[in-house]
Amino acid sequence: MDPSLSFDQAPPISVPYRFFLAAPWFGVMAGLLLAWSGADALASRWTPGALALTHLIALGFMLQAMCGALLQFIAVAVGANVWRPRLVASTVQPLLLLATLLLVAGLLYGRPDWLSAAVPFFLLAIGGLVVVVALALWRTPATGMTLWAMRMAIGGLAITVLLGALLAEALAHGFAVPLVELTDVHLAWGLGGWALILLAGVSYQVVPMFQLTRPYPPWFARWFAPLLLFFLVAWSLQLFPGDARWSPMIALPLLLILSAYAGITLWLQHTRRRKIHDATSLYFRVAMLSLLAFAVSAAAIFLLPEIAADPRSAIWLGVLALAGVFVSAITGMMYKIVPFLNWLHLQRLGAPLSAVPNMKKMITAEAMTGQLRLHVLALLLLLAAVWLPGLSRLAGVAFAASCAWLGWNLVAAVRRYLDFRDRIRASGSHR
Amino acid sequence: MTTVIDGRELEPPEPMVRTLEALDTLAPDDDLLLLLYCQPQPLFRILSKNGYTWSDELRADGTREIRIRKLPG
Repeated sequence: MDPSLSFDQAPPISVPYRFFLAAPWFGVMAGLLLAWSGADALASRWTPGALALTHLIALGFMLQAMCGALLQFIAVAVGANVWRPRLVASTVQPLLLLATLLLVAGLLYGRPDWLSAAVPFFLLAIGGLVVVVALALWRTPATGMTLWAMRMAIGGLAITVLLGALLAEALAHGFAVPLVELTDVHLAWGLGGWALILLAGVSYQVVPMFQLTRPYPPWFARWFAPLLLFFLVAWSLQLFPGDARWSPMIALPLLLILSAYAGITLWLQHTRRRKIHDATSLYFRVAMLSLLAFAVSAAAIFLLPEIAADPRSAIWLGVLALAGVFVSAITGMMYKIVPFLNWLHLQRLGAPLSAVPNMKKMITAEAMTGQLRLHVLALLLLLAAVWLPGLSRLAGVAFAASCAWLGWNLVAAVRRYLDFRDRIRASGSHR
Repeated sequence: MTTVIDGRELEPPEPMVRTLEALDTLAPDDDLLLLLYCQPQPLFRILSKNGYTWSDELRADGTREIRIRKLPG
């Protein structure tokens, strides 16, 4: 049987890799920025350094990697084919890159004109991506909760970017908007409505598939994303004048929903019959423990005003969410997705199955595990630096080194793909 | 005769590789039962383009029973 037939509509390998290869270097920039700024950057969530660091990770690392994964994943997992994926990727990715650098520089140096200049690039890049992905997701004949999670996530991305654009223009031109409330709603949609719903939707497929667990309980997969969306909409009502005492009534159920996803994922890992302790499983464990820690910490902040009054509390939550949950989960996913894509696309050359190398040869286990250990060390240092500012520079260096190692591992995987591809072509066994 | 491939505890791409190998020797009246915890969209495309039919049933424990057979003619 010719296995290549399955992938004739899947995007070319350059589509996801263009995004994946860029993502870690934004993490390197974030680490170096922290090492350069030192403790000042982490004094509060509103310092120019903290705002720049947040967006280097959220837009540079997370959004780059998630866009690449989305374009690949929806074709393979839910049978949705994006219109001209190579053109979309080669347009969206550089626009996103430019917009991110402009926004980060604008936040860091307090330049309203750069903030304002970034907005049209974001709207063009994300607007284009949202339209083509949404069309593909609505046309696919596939069914299931992963598909619905993808649809909700892409809506969450659109809302996040619109709110972000409004914030950037408000900062640039001094519009009278409730900046604190708008920022809280913007980050809730970005981290919850986009990133976490996408992560959960992908988890429904890849956790059982790659980590050999049982599937997520159907009731959980059915209700997680809709409930999260419901409470995000309720959370957004703070934009309108009202009684602020209601906010814990919205935030606490929201945090309970996040904890359920983390708890169930850890439980699935714990109860699987075949125990594997590869880098992906361990990265997911770190991500889910961070999510639990985030939920407990955020609940404490909502319930105990004396903790909320300390500006470092918000930084603590930011480190847990960005470096703890999303950088960990995304890195773990990339360590499975990249070797798998290498294998898929080498199959596409039409070589016999026996001629295509094993997935485990694409990135060595030692390289992934070593990088994981450095990431965990960097995460612990970042968390410690929130309360011990003297550790900030060291934490920044460790995080930059960990992201650089990830970047190098991904480059090495791409080089192996090219090497095997050339060997198959030279052997004459391809079509 | 039914050939069974239990892919639930196999790491990708092993379930697909074993399925493709089994299909190469599948007799016209036989069928292949693949057990998975996910819907294998790439495999479905291969099957439809190579003259196979399949049914996909979800068990209460989350296992997908994918029964594959060669289309007549």
